[in-house]
Amino acid sequence: MAVLGRGKAIGLVLRSLLVQGSWNYRTMQGAGLGYALLPVLRSLHRDAGASLKEALSRHSGFFNSHPYLSTVAIAALARMELESIDAVQIERFKVAIVSPLGTLGDRLVWARWRPICALAALWLFLAGAAWWVAVAAFLLLYNALNLGLRIWGLRLGWREGLEVGGALLGSPLRRLPDRLTIPLAVVSGGVLPPLALELGSSTGAGPLSTIAVALALAAVGIWRPAVAGRLAVLGLLVGSLVLVALGHSVW
Amino acid sequence: MWVGALLEIVSLSQLPIGAARSWETGPASVAAVSLMAAGPGGPSLLVIAGAYGVALAWIGGWTVHGLRHLNSRLVAGGRREAYSALELSLRHLLALGLDFARAALFTLAAVAVAGRVVPDLQVDAGAFAAVLLLVVAGLALGVDLRMMARSRRTWLAFAASAVVSGLITVWLF
Repeated sequence: MAVLGRGKAIGLVLRSLLVQGSWNYRTMQGAGLGYALLPVLRSLHRDAGASLKEALSRHSGFFNSHPYLSTVAIAALARMELESIDAVQIERFKVAIVSPLGTLGDRLVWARWRPICALAALWLFLAGAAWWVAVAAFLLLYNALNLGLRIWGLRLGWREGLEVGGALLGSPLRRLPDRLTIPLAVVSGGVLPPLALELGSSTGAGPLSTIAVALALAAVGIWRPAVAGRLAVLGLLVGSLVLVALGHSVW
Repeated sequence: MWVGALLEIVSLSQLPIGAARSWETGPASVAAVSLMAAGPGGPSLLVIAGAYGVALAWIGGWTVHGLRHLNSRLVAGGRREAYSALELSLRHLLALGLDFARAALFTLAAVAVAGRVVPDLQVDAGAFAAVLLLVVAGLALGVDLRMMARSRRTWLAFAASAVVSGLITVWLF
């Protein structure tokens, strides 16, 4: 098997941080993928002429993935280039890998990890930690997975190459979103009562009734998310307009 | 911190998936926090800062949408000839720079507006604002959970955790 080298591996991970830099509606992350693969392509096409241009054009067409898992595709494509896999197969691979990387990443990061980290940090703050401790905890926890996924993805992509799709399906990462569902529910439920007491402290109501109202409202949010979501945003906007209109008056 | 927490809860269900036009909460949070920090604090200002943040996040989402169209021309302009390595790098980095400039200008403008508005705000409607915050936070947390997880087991875990946490909170209150 070809060797990637530590320098190139670090370069690929760092460049993967910029993969969304020129995100657009035509090629999505295409240019970002081409940019990320440049160090590998340059070392393969040392003359920097037509063959490099051709390789770049192959990789800067349509591509999209979850940004944190983009290293899976970047590393697999780098290995394919080193092994001189033909362009048709590379194109087929790119089309096939877009959906699994996007779905897995969206479910794991946006729908599980980010809310868990944000709510856990909020819980820390509500429990009496200094604000900067809560913020630092969020940043550390959240980015541990961010960077961890990028490094793991690079290793997996490089090891499996063209077969990385199958390896991704068999990896423990695939089941992780489901495993994080209960922790997410526990953190959400744990945050609600102290948050309700803190935000509702000026209502004059007792703690038990405040918490009960907040729980009932959360149940409405779970039951009718579309309506409740609009109500929450609209309530905030209209309420603030009422408050501004009230101006100098005192209730 | 409270403005950030409120915005986070309200915006968690806005998932930045694929080509979806989602809220841009970064500049919005900075501007909302600046509004809160410039004022006397309290639940009324928290509601106003939260609403300001939500409105900015929505507008920010549109500016990102516009930039994505501009990026289409910049890096995928339909040119027959492929880009050279240098040209692709420059175009990609230029798109990044434009995004940075967009976000910086948007944040500066929003902070400047907040700075002009706050000195004129003398709102003291604590009870009304507190009820509103309670309603918004309760509904938004429920929506967040439903958007992320849809099984009955999850909701039971949520309820059990809320009851235990509620009892501990009341005991400590």
